[in-house]
Amino acid sequence: METVELKQQLKQQIIEFLNLTSLTPEDIKDDAPFFGADGLELDSIDSLELIVLLQRVYGISIKDPKEGRKVLVDVNTMADYIEKHRTK
Amino acid sequence: MLYIHEASCISPQQTFSTIDLEHVTDPVDNKLHVAEPAYGGIPKNMLRRMGKAVRIGVGASLPLLDKISSLNGFIIGTANGGMEESILFLKQIIAYDEGVLTPGSFVQSTANATAAQLSLLTGNRGYNITHVHRGLAFENAVIDAAMMVNENKGTSYLLGGIDDISNYNYKLDYMDGWYKEEEIDGQSFYSTNSAGSIAGEGAAIFLVNDHAQNALAKVKAIKTLHSADPDLIKRAFEGFIKEQQVDLSSCIFLSGENGDSRLLPFYTSCEEILGTDITIARFKHLCGEYPTASAFALWLSCQLLNRLQMPEHMIKKHGSAKQPSSILIYNNHKNAQHSFMLIES
Repeated sequence: METVELKQQLKQQIIEFLNLTSLTPEDIKDDAPFFGADGLELDSIDSLELIVLLQRVYGISIKDPKEGRKVLVDVNTMADYIEKHRTK
Repeated sequence: MLYIHEASCISPQQTFSTIDLEHVTDPVDNKLHVAEPAYGGIPKNMLRRMGKAVRIGVGASLPLLDKISSLNGFIIGTANGGMEESILFLKQIIAYDEGVLTPGSFVQSTANATAAQLSLLTGNRGYNITHVHRGLAFENAVIDAAMMVNENKGTSYLLGGIDDISNYNYKLDYMDGWYKEEEIDGQSFYSTNSAGSIAGEGAAIFLVNDHAQNALAKVKAIKTLHSADPDLIKRAFEGFIKEQQVDLSSCIFLSGENGDSRLLPFYTSCEEILGTDITIARFKHLCGEYPTASAFALWLSCQLLNRLQMPEHMIKKHGSAKQPSSILIYNNHKNAQHSFMLIES
């Protein structure tokens, strides 16, 4: 799967998993931070939902919280990690 | 004695913010879904995770929370809690073989999610309890609130009754015969000679304490029973009226009649002992049938005893009282759980 296609799919999955019903994939920029006022303003419960998303959809298990912090930054970092570690 | 000072309600009718019960919203596919307002006061991250039951419960509470400076806790009655979220969570358990589950659905699916969200929103760490006794969940919340204010003078609580229609519990109750098979138009279900009712949902929230001054209404007495025997209920109702010395000439009987032919004998046998002076009114065409519909009846009573003129569509039989001073509510849930509430101005 091309990176662009993966990012588009990932945005759709983020919207579904986090119930971001007011957003479309086009509203989420690749480098918009997940956390903080400048981006999607997600919180700690959302980060758990994203970890579940990675495991269910891509077969990636993140057990080290430090690693999670590096991965769950924005769509770019998440997609990059998926491309390198996906088992599904 | 429990005094009600504020009341708020999200229902299928126009009961939130501006109240208009003259124009009635009819059921669609035998369901009366709530008219949800825009929820301005709920943080968006909380709002997007909330299931409908939690959303309407918190939404109905917000206007009351804005009016009070001190609150000692939350007492909620709900038979099902957030049923949609519960089913979603159970499906996930099966789909992912009890493996990795998302926390959101679990958090939102517990019955006490509404009271918990209210506590989180307000930072209130006081008494926080949810009663889940099916068709008597709200009544048990009322009894709890009455005991709390009587034992702890000067305390105030947010009391509520909340339930929603989920596709899952609608189908189960439909198969069990609790909803009508034939399509219902408007109020016609009262006159059908068949089993079942129409489904409903709603959230009615009250600010309660032991201060008589400036109260909207008071819950003077409440009684709950479990029985499938109309004669036993009739005797208990008669005893309740005598014990409370209800003046039937200035009273409205607010009946939970719901069009189910199996439950009708309970309501009519109670009506028989009320005499001819009393006004008999019905409310299930406004909110539908759901386990905590008595909370809607209590909200309606607060309105009728204060500002609302009884809409003609509610009246089953006109009585002599021009201005009622009390309202007698009888509700029967699934032919088994019964409650009487006496509300006075």
